[in-house]
Amino acid sequence: MIALHNLTVRTTGGHVAVRGADLAIQPGQRLGVVGESGSGKTLLALSMIGMVPEGLQVDGQVLVKGETIAADDERAWRRHRARTMAMIFQEPMAALNPLVRVGDTVAEPLRLHLGLDRAAARKRALDLFEETGIPQARRRLGQYPHELSGGQRQRVLIALALACDPDLLIADEPTTALDAQVALRITDLLVRLSQDRQMALMFISHDLAAVSRTTHDIVVMYGGDIVERGQTVRVLSDPAHPYTQGLLAARPSLMHRERRLPTIPGTVPQLFALPPGCRFAGRCARELPQCVGTRPPVVATPTGQAACHLPGAGQT
Amino acid sequence: MSYFLARRIAGFVLTLWAVSIVVFAVMNVLPGDPALTILGLDSTDEARAALRERLGLDAPVVQRYLAWVGGALRGDLGQSYSFGVAVSGLIAERLPLTVSLAISGMTLTVCLALVMGLTAAARHGRAGDWAIMLFSQLGIAVPVFWLSMLLVLLFAVKLRWLPPGGFPGWSDPVAAARALVLPTVALALVQSAVLARVTRSAALEVMRLDFVRTARASGFAPGHIMWRHVLPNALVPIVTIVGLQFAGLVTGTIVIENVFYLPGLGRLLFQSIANRDLVTVQALVMLFAAIVVTANFLVDIAYVLIDPRLRAGRA
Amino acid sequence: MNARLPVNILIGAALVAVVMFAALLSAIWTPYPYAGIDVANKFAAPSGAHWLGTDQLGRDLVSQLMAAAGNSMGVAVVAVGIGCSIGTALGLLAAAKGGWIEELIMRLSDLGFAFPALLFAIMLAAAFGPSLSMVVIAIAFINIPTFARVTRAAANQIWRREYVFAARAAGMSTFAISRDHILPNIAAPVIVQATIEFAVAILVEAALSYLGLGAQPPEPSWGRMLAEAQTLMYLAPQLAVWPGLCIVTAVLGFGLLGDGLRDISDPRLARRRPA
Repeated sequence: MIALHNLTVRTTGGHVAVRGADLAIQPGQRLGVVGESGSGKTLLALSMIGMVPEGLQVDGQVLVKGETIAADDERAWRRHRARTMAMIFQEPMAALNPLVRVGDTVAEPLRLHLGLDRAAARKRALDLFEETGIPQARRRLGQYPHELSGGQRQRVLIALALACDPDLLIADEPTTALDAQVALRITDLLVRLSQDRQMALMFISHDLAAVSRTTHDIVVMYGGDIVERGQTVRVLSDPAHPYTQGLLAARPSLMHRERRLPTIPGTVPQLFALPPGCRFAGRCARELPQCVGTRPPVVATPTGQAACHLPGAGQT
Repeated sequence: MSYFLARRIAGFVLTLWAVSIVVFAVMNVLPGDPALTILGLDSTDEARAALRERLGLDAPVVQRYLAWVGGALRGDLGQSYSFGVAVSGLIAERLPLTVSLAISGMTLTVCLALVMGLTAAARHGRAGDWAIMLFSQLGIAVPVFWLSMLLVLLFAVKLRWLPPGGFPGWSDPVAAARALVLPTVALALVQSAVLARVTRSAALEVMRLDFVRTARASGFAPGHIMWRHVLPNALVPIVTIVGLQFAGLVTGTIVIENVFYLPGLGRLLFQSIANRDLVTVQALVMLFAAIVVTANFLVDIAYVLIDPRLRAGRA
Repeated sequence: MNARLPVNILIGAALVAVVMFAALLSAIWTPYPYAGIDVANKFAAPSGAHWLGTDQLGRDLVSQLMAAAGNSMGVAVVAVGIGCSIGTALGLLAAAKGGWIEELIMRLSDLGFAFPALLFAIMLAAAFGPSLSMVVIAIAFINIPTFARVTRAAANQIWRREYVFAARAAGMSTFAISRDHILPNIAAPVIVQATIEFAVAILVEAALSYLGLGAQPPEPSWGRMLAEAQTLMYLAPQLAVWPGLCIVTAVLGFGLLGDGLRDISDPRLARRRPA
C-alpha cells in the first residue's frame, strides 16, 4: 500500500540521517518502529507523508498505492494526506490550533476534503469524537484545546486523523507526553480503531512495552539504519541484533525492580560521528574488526531479519 | 473579564484627561500671552486687551481649563478666531474627507501588509521573501510626502491619469474617488511597509508551532494554512502594530492632506496655524491625540476578542 | 539569517558615513554658498560646474543638499541627544527607586505615547512659532518616554543580577550602582534605540520643514527644498528627486544600522520592541 525503497535522507551538510531504508506497509498491518531519539524513526515517518523538513535531501523511492511520489511534489502529497495516510504527533497540546474549537478543527478536513456542509460535518465530527472515546462528546465539540486534558486532546487529534478514513495512521510517539494510565488507554484505542476500520497503523515509540501491546510487526532503528525486523512478539523475545538486545536489557522490568538497570554503554553518536560501517560499532559488545568499515548485510534470523555481521543470541 | 475591562476604561479616561491638560498647558499657559501670539508683535495694547476679554483670557487658568473641557464635553469647542464660526462646525464640515482618507488608507494598508507579510513568510529565505523585505525596508525610509510627490509626478504630471491634488466635493462621487486614489496609495504604501515586516515575523513565529504541522498533515493547501491557521494566531502582534500605526495614520493624514490640498482636518490645522487661530489649533490637536489614545484603547480590547484563552479571565 | 547581519550593518554604516561626511564637510566647504543666488543660471542642467544643476533661483543643488545634510544631522544629534540623556536618566531612576516613583515615571511616559512626534511638533510650532529649535525641542521631548522605557526595562534586569546584590551588600549607594554597574550594562539597547530614533528624527525634521514648521528660508533643509520643488513640479520635476533621495539615504542608513546592531546585541529585542 505504501512502500519505501532505498530511502535516504541527508542533511545539508551531507550527513546521512536515514540510510537506504526499505519498508512496506500492508493494509491493516500494525507496525511498530522503535529506536532512541535521533535514530531516524520520525524522519522515516515524515518521508511517508512527504513532510521531511525543508533543507533535508531525500533520495530513493516512495510508492503510495503503486504511484511513485517525489519528495518535493507537494501537490501529489496533498492529495494523499488525510485520505491515504494521516499522522498524529507527540505533543497533543501544541498540535491543536489554540484559537479554534476542537469540533471545528475536526470538521475542517471533512468540509474541505469531503465537501460536507456545516451540519453534516458537525454530525460526522460528533461521531468521530464518540468513536475515539471522548466523554461528553457533544459538549466537547464547542470547547477550545486549553479546556481539554492531555489525553482528550490526543483523542481529538486521532479523531482529526480519522476524519477522511485514511488507509494508514502514523502515530509518532503519541503517548510520550501523557500519564501512564492515559497512555495505556490511547494505545488500546489505536489498536481497536485499526481493527475496526481495517486501517494500517504505524506506531513509533521508544517504549518497547507500548509497541509490544500495540503492534504485530516491528522495525528497530539505530543511527538511521533499520537494524532488525520481524514479528513483534518473536523479535522482542529472541532478538538477534546486539542493539535490540541492549534495548531490551535496558528496559525496567517488574522482576528486577531492585537491580540497577543495565544500560547500553555510550550514547547515540551525533550524525557526523557515525561510523561508516555498522552504525552501532563502537557501542557494540560483539564488535568484529569489519564492523566499523563495512556495512553489515541483511541476513535472515530465526525471528526475521537483522543487519549485523554477527547476529545471534549472544550475551550483552 | 469585567475587572480587566474596568481597568482599561479607567486608564483610557485618565490618559485622555492628562492629554487635555498637556494640550491646554502648551497652548495657553506656556506661550505667555495668547493674545500676543494671535495678534502678533505689532498689535496694540488695546487690541490685545479687547481680544483677551473676548476669549475670556483674563479669568484664572484653572477656570479657563474647566470651561474648555466642559465645553468640549458638550460638543462646544469654542469660536474660531479666524473663521468667525464655531470650531465644531468647521470640524464637522471637514471630518468626512479625513475619515474617508483614513479608512481607505488603513484598509489598503492592512490588505497590502497581510498579503506581503504572509507571502514573504511562506517563501521564507527565498527570492520572494527578499524582494518583499527590500520593499518594506525602503518603504520605512521613504517620507510619505516625497512618495506622494513622486506619485503625482508619474500619474498626474506624466501620465495624466489622475488629478494632482485638490478635492471636487462629494457631489460628484467618481471625481471625489479619483481625487482620493493617490493620497490613499501614498498613505498605504508607507504604512504597510512596517506592518508587512511585523506580519512576516509574527507569521514565521507561528509557523514553527506544531499545529501548523498538523494542518499540513491534514492535507490543507498552503494558502489555506497561512490565512486560516497562521494568520489568526499571529494577529496579536499585528493588531498591536495596527493600533500603534494609528498614530502614524493620523500624522500621515495631516501631511497627505497638505500635499494634495485636500480640505480635511489636517489642512484645517495648518490653515489655523497660519492664521494663528489658537482656539481651532487647540481643538484639533486634542482631537487628533484623542483618536490616537482611543485607537490604543481599542487595541487592548481587541486582544480579548482574538484569543479565547484571555476571555477565560487569565488576563 | 547569519549572513544578513553584517550586510545590514555594512550597508547602513556606509550610507551613514556618506551622509555624515557630507554634513561635516558642509560646515567648512560647499562648492558654492548654499544660498548664493544666480538668477541668470536658473534651472541649469547638471554640468561640471553644477553637478546636479541649479534651482529656480540659480542656487547650486549640491551645495544646498550638503548644507541641508548638516542641518538634518545637527537636529538629529541634538534632539536625540537631549531626549536620550533625560530619558535614560529617568529610566535609571525608575529602575533604581521602584515604587511610586517608577509608577509615576512610567505613567508619564505612557502619556508621551499619546502624542505622535509630528503632532507634538505641530502643537509647539503653533504655540511658539515655527523654527528649527521648536523641531529640536519636539523631537527631544518625544524621545524621552521611549528611552525611559527602554532603559527601565533593561535596568530592571540588571538590578536582579548577583553582582548588583554584592555591590549593595558592600554599601554602595543607589546612585553609584546605577552609574558604575547599571549604565554600562544597558548601553547596548540604548545605543540601538538611539540609532533607530536618529532615523525617525531625520524623517520628522524633513516632514516639519516640508510643512513649513521647521527650517525657515533661507535655512537649507531637504524637506523645505521638496516643498519648493512641489510648486515647480511641471516646470522642473528633477528638483523633486534629489532631496528625497537624500532623506531616504539617511533614514535607510540609520535604520539598517539600528536593525543590524539590535540583531547582534540581543536577538530577543528584535521581536520585543517596546510598544
